[in-house]
Amino acid sequence: MFLTCLLFWQVSLGNTPPSKKQIIDTLKTSTQQQALAFLNEINDLQPSKIWPNIKPAKFLQNLKTTIYNPISIYPGNGTNFCGYGAITYLFLLDDPLGYTKLLLQLYREGKAVFGATRFDPSQAVKKQAGLLRYKGILDIRPAEQMWYLTLADHFKGYLNFFNGKYDPDDEDKFWASVNYAKFNRMVRKLLRYNVKARGADLIRPRVGDQYKYISERMKTGTVVLFINNRIVHKKNHVRIKLGVPTHFIVAEKISLENDLITLVYWDYGAKTQLQLSPAFIKRIIFGITYCTKKKIADE
Amino acid sequence: MELLIVQKRKSQMNKLTLALLFFCIMNIISSCSPKNISTSYYYQHEKVLDKIEESYKSLSQQSPFTVAFTDKKFNTVSLEIITDTLSYIYEFDVNESRLTDTLNRFRLNAPKIIELIRQMQSIRCTWINNYNYYVDEKKNSLIFMSIKPVALNSLFSYKKFYTLTYFPQPQYFDSEGRLLDKRKIRRLRKINGEIFKRINNKVCYTISGNFR
Repeated sequence: MFLTCLLFWQVSLGNTPPSKKQIIDTLKTSTQQQALAFLNEINDLQPSKIWPNIKPAKFLQNLKTTIYNPISIYPGNGTNFCGYGAITYLFLLDDPLGYTKLLLQLYREGKAVFGATRFDPSQAVKKQAGLLRYKGILDIRPAEQMWYLTLADHFKGYLNFFNGKYDPDDEDKFWASVNYAKFNRMVRKLLRYNVKARGADLIRPRVGDQYKYISERMKTGTVVLFINNRIVHKKNHVRIKLGVPTHFIVAEKISLENDLITLVYWDYGAKTQLQLSPAFIKRIIFGITYCTKKKIADE
Repeated sequence: MELLIVQKRKSQMNKLTLALLFFCIMNIISSCSPKNISTSYYYQHEKVLDKIEESYKSLSQQSPFTVAFTDKKFNTVSLEIITDTLSYIYEFDVNESRLTDTLNRFRLNAPKIIELIRQMQSIRCTWINNYNYYVDEKKNSLIFMSIKPVALNSLFSYKKFYTLTYFPQPQYFDSEGRLLDKRKIRRLRKINGEIFKRINNKVCYTISGNFR
């Protein structure tokens, strides 16, 4: 309704109708320029005793890279950070200044408050941030390491029940896993989005024509898909694969031609284009999270 | 008395047959074990493996891409073409004309890439890519290659892949031949979560349940 009013208002002013991107830009909580300007004013970031393995210069450099190019954020090879990566990507698109301030507060004080969420990471996480290795470019991104470890330490779901406390290498294990309900809870708590989630960890969403459902929602908001990545990116030749979702991706574009769906999505530092049959897409999708920007009155 | 002797001989024969059977089974199991394969496989196929690596290295420098065989029969090839803005993932039958068309559309060296795919198919190479890793905050790159040798597919062996890494420069190893992070820091280097062992200064191997 709000979007429709905005569109009508723009048209009534005699301008050409704005694109979806233009509408989304006007609704953003903060902009990339604001975040970069804020970062450029910081000249005296002191080494933190709380995060002993994160050097301030590298931390700031990582923040700048992230703000300048949010697509490049990388949750790491072999980790279970993909859910946190998807959240961070959405966060950066909507509120880069909020992200910057939150991470700086976390670095300086060792704890931080964002909305109703109070982050107070454990000593084990503080010690490990900056030391993750063999995770690809995440190795040299201390701010992202700190953030993903903090998120995994703070938000818990049933998958984390038997591994609640961090030990080295737990980023690859159930300690860092994200189930679908936990993902949606994190989006609701951290981002200024209204969230409508369809599907579950073991039950596929009943939305009729999935292509139609996803493409309709992408016109007015952002869609995150919870998929079984073991089928999309095969890692072995085992024919019978466990039918469970393992990966979160942010849908960027979707189209249908000759009964073939072309999906462009973001994950792990890049955008990927994949062509799938409607039957295959039905097989791999377990969750569809539809995010729309909250109006001030909703907050 | 004769009956007793016959029975005793029969019993000895049975024991001998059982021992022979046991020996044969153990022989089959050990000859197909990943450990045995890992020590000899590279040198047995060194020429073709190195040729694949060199060819991929040269082609992917022109335009980055990865190749995976996603089926057991090595007929379906998954091609990821990486551009500045987008990675494109396609799946083709090896003999499909769409494969050549797609390579041409991206202005890749289609004849050479198809030759590479054929070489990979011939040696049951399931996956090849460029793997980035960081030492002292500097980006390095190695060629990561997985093979599914026939013996590793046998009844008595694990369903595993033989993975090779080709480093651009000599590496450091511990006394057991395991790949180390650096010369001074005696920490084992993990690639894709696996510990690798030395074949020569620049080439290492591991046996893994996944090809990537």
